[in-house]
Amino acid sequence: MSFLADSLEHLVRGIVDNPDDVRVELVTTRRGRTLEVHVHPDDLGKVIGRGGRTATALRTVMGAIGGRGVRVDVIDTDR
Amino acid sequence: MSETAEVVGTEQDEVENQATEEAAEDTDAGNEDDLLVQEGDIAGDYLERLLDILDFDGDIDLDVEAGRAIVSIDGGEDLDKLVGPRGSALEALQELTRLAVQQETGSRSRLMLDVAGWRAGRREELRELGRSTAESVVSSGERVRLQPMSPFERKVVHDAVATVDGVTSESEGEEPKRRVVVLPSS
Repeated sequence: MSFLADSLEHLVRGIVDNPDDVRVELVTTRRGRTLEVHVHPDDLGKVIGRGGRTATALRTVMGAIGGRGVRVDVIDTDR
Repeated sequence: MSETAEVVGTEQDEVENQATEEAAEDTDAGNEDDLLVQEGDIAGDYLERLLDILDFDGDIDLDVEAGRAIVSIDGGEDLDKLVGPRGSALEALQELTRLAVQQETGSRSRLMLDVAGWRAGRREELRELGRSTAESVVSSGERVRLQPMSPFERKVVHDAVATVDGVTSESEGEEPKRRVVVLPSS
């Protein structure tokens, strides 16, 4: 399933100022699969977008290619 | 709740901006075209890499039409996944592709993405729907409310209704339930 993490990483790298700081990890728990997106703190706004619009677009695309139950979480690297 | 409202606001702004930008862009076509070709190239690279990672078969075609870059992906059945239910994945991927272009050019992109001919097919259906609805409103004299649609879909319907005399159309409701209403013109 690494194509999911790889494709999300690619999609995010293309839209941020610090592409080298983008890292996506696929975390599997009993509740399902979560793609954790780690970005440079300065890029957090870009990945979330106005009104959460960009994060929603990322979730929609990943849901379409990964099937139901793939969560996308955006995480600030400072955390 | 406030998040939903904000998303609605930006969508509507975008549709309105598109109309005014289109008018402005008709005047200076030369340099504009170079920028649009560049937009297509950036978008093509972004999407090609995505297809590679997904191992989807697809040919990417670039074009410039009516003042905007057009990127079309055609190929295998896998591509239906990138269209999604009622084109939702396609709209999302278009949004991300526009952002990727903006990231490189520094200016906002209005490029249009089509996958597996979805927009082309949907546009034809919606034109027919717009025309036939307009004609039934002309003969009945009663307004008709259509199903909720995306901004792209509503625009196609409004344009089709506008080709029929004696009727007009407007949109009502909030995204994602915003819908076209066709009514007799007074």
